[in-house]
Amino acid sequence: MKRNQLIFFMFLIAAMVFLAACNDDSTETSGSDSGEDEEITLEFWTMQLQPTFTDYINGMIDDFEADNPNITINWLDVPAGDLEQKILADVSAGNAPDLVNLNPSFGGSLAELDATVNMDEALSDEEIDRYVEGAWEASQLDGETFGIPWYLDTAVTLNNADIYEEAGLDPSQPPETYEEAKEYAEIISEETDKYGYFPSLDLSLPLQHMELMGVPLTNEDGTAAFNTPDGVEVFEYFTELYENNLIPAESLTGDQREGTNFYQSGQVAFGVNFFIAEIEENAPDIYDSTVPSVAITGDSGKKTMSVQNLVVPEQSEHQEAAVDFGLFITSAENQLEFAQLTPILPSSTEALEDPYFTDPPEDADPLELVRITSAEQLPDAELLVPPMDNLNELQTVMYDGFSKAMLGELSPEEALAETEEKWNEIVAE
Amino acid sequence: MKRQKLTPYLFLIPGCIILGAFIFYPMLQAIWLSLTEFNMIEDATFIGLENYENLLQDDLFWQTLMNTFIYLIGVVPALVIIPIFLAVLVNQNIKGISFFRSAFFIPVVTSLVVAGIAWDWVYKEHGLLNYALEVVGIITEPIGWLTSTSTALFAVMVVTVWKGLGYYMIIYLAGLQSIPSDLYEAAKIDGANWWQQVTRITIPMLMPFVLVVSIMSSISAMKVFEEIYVMTGGGPLHSSETLVFYIYTEAFSNLNMGYASAAGVILFIFTLILSIINLKVMGKKGNIR
Repeated sequence: MKRNQLIFFMFLIAAMVFLAACNDDSTETSGSDSGEDEEITLEFWTMQLQPTFTDYINGMIDDFEADNPNITINWLDVPAGDLEQKILADVSAGNAPDLVNLNPSFGGSLAELDATVNMDEALSDEEIDRYVEGAWEASQLDGETFGIPWYLDTAVTLNNADIYEEAGLDPSQPPETYEEAKEYAEIISEETDKYGYFPSLDLSLPLQHMELMGVPLTNEDGTAAFNTPDGVEVFEYFTELYENNLIPAESLTGDQREGTNFYQSGQVAFGVNFFIAEIEENAPDIYDSTVPSVAITGDSGKKTMSVQNLVVPEQSEHQEAAVDFGLFITSAENQLEFAQLTPILPSSTEALEDPYFTDPPEDADPLELVRITSAEQLPDAELLVPPMDNLNELQTVMYDGFSKAMLGELSPEEALAETEEKWNEIVAE
Repeated sequence: MKRQKLTPYLFLIPGCIILGAFIFYPMLQAIWLSLTEFNMIEDATFIGLENYENLLQDDLFWQTLMNTFIYLIGVVPALVIIPIFLAVLVNQNIKGISFFRSAFFIPVVTSLVVAGIAWDWVYKEHGLLNYALEVVGIITEPIGWLTSTSTALFAVMVVTVWKGLGYYMIIYLAGLQSIPSDLYEAAKIDGANWWQQVTRITIPMLMPFVLVVSIMSSISAMKVFEEIYVMTGGGPLHSSETLVFYIYTEAFSNLNMGYASAAGVILFIFTLILSIINLKVMGKKGNIR
């Protein structure tokens, strides 16, 4: 019996050794393309663009391949929720794509590990100047640029005119500051059975609320700078909204999609970061009564910019070709075409000068008004939460601080002090 | 003669290779990673037991472990006991019974994402559950089932139970149909009523199946993830965050792969201990050796 067990065990060991031998831990990195005539296949990944933009992307790929007969583009579209895991797994296995569409925070995580190509060196000054300055700077960590900005967005407030009228408010005078938002929320709550405001606290939004309300997040060395009277006011503001039932409880626990759901089901009068295209499709009546306006801001007067970029992993064996393809995708012509398919803004300064972004058509519909409002804000907009080390953990710490204050577990002062302490612990690691 | 002795082991080789590849190798790899600092990109650095030391000092780890045990205590008894009665109910030869068997099984084949969204609507402040409770007069103010730290975990537990009932019912149904009918006939002749038949024949004969269900549901409860991910994201304030969700966050959000592996090893040890206890306690009752 023991002998049998030994044989059985040996089989297992053999299987494991066989697998371990198959597991190649080497991650060879070579950064140059050899020869222009060499047949090259570029792996290009995007984040959830199929099926809506399949034809657009394929059209670009066809054009690029026609201009570069030796290059074949292999396009893979990955669901947004899976992209980070997928790229991590592939980078870990040494199979990184050549060009990948990421957001600055995750791109920053890769850059932190020296896993991305430095675009300051890969692009000429002239090429860098093609992009909106704030968008270019959004993909920087420790002074190095790790991505080419692709498409942008600035936050816009959506207001449901019907609910405003029901509450006796003027939809053409929507709230522009946090204080006004609170006043409107109180009036709407009193006059209707609906909520006024849905301020999402998803992902980096707690950090953004801080910045917008005039509270700097960090000192030069990355340590917390937000434990100030102004910081306490931010926590108090959200705690009051929550405790007085002026915002749905789901503002704290839900994501931006939850906010969109509340808005498109007619339960909320206004908010930032809702998905207008989804509202148009799912709730035409709500969409028709939607009035877009400038994003709600605080003492800082700042506006939020969101950026999607294109990153070339250091592991790519065709970095030069990948950068060329990235430049091609982000050309003024291609970006303008993209922006005409969906309410986004191009990162190309030339494309932004097009009348499409500057001259509102007569009888513009909400979608067009969102585009115009978004573009008008762009010169003043910035990426409020730049890439920083351990951003995910810092976001969680701030979100937990907001939660503890809003749920009454700690006073705003205590919650903020605890947030500062945990923030600094992470920075010190 | 020698060949005869070797033949069974040759048949075992494919299974061993598959087990080695997909179970034992990743398991050993995880144990190794738990002793390193690894972010999936840079090479792993050996740091000994530091991950374990840090874990034991992490309040959130203890909170998620506690949540996992609460989940276990709440969900397992329900998933072991209720399906027995469901199986007894649907084990009748009456017209239309197959409809009920199918109806109880529908949640099992429903995608968890879809189920999660549907239950989300049920639990919303202005959702079905609060409306029903208000109509009946049980509550006057809506309850935030998924937005309150005191109810979120229990609300998700209900979904796990709802989804698992049909699955375990089918296991018990197979068990019930394997009980010889002459036992019941003999019991009837001896004057046993329905309840006595259930408690003296059905349940004792089902004990091996109870053991299987107990182990399976315990392991499932220890590994619960999808319901939490879809319905609460671990919130509010980590009140519904379980150990697997914590491992997922540490691994894929914070890129602390070594640390997450250490938490995974601890989860494995707890699950193993639980299964052994199950086997010891239930095994005696089910005469399983």
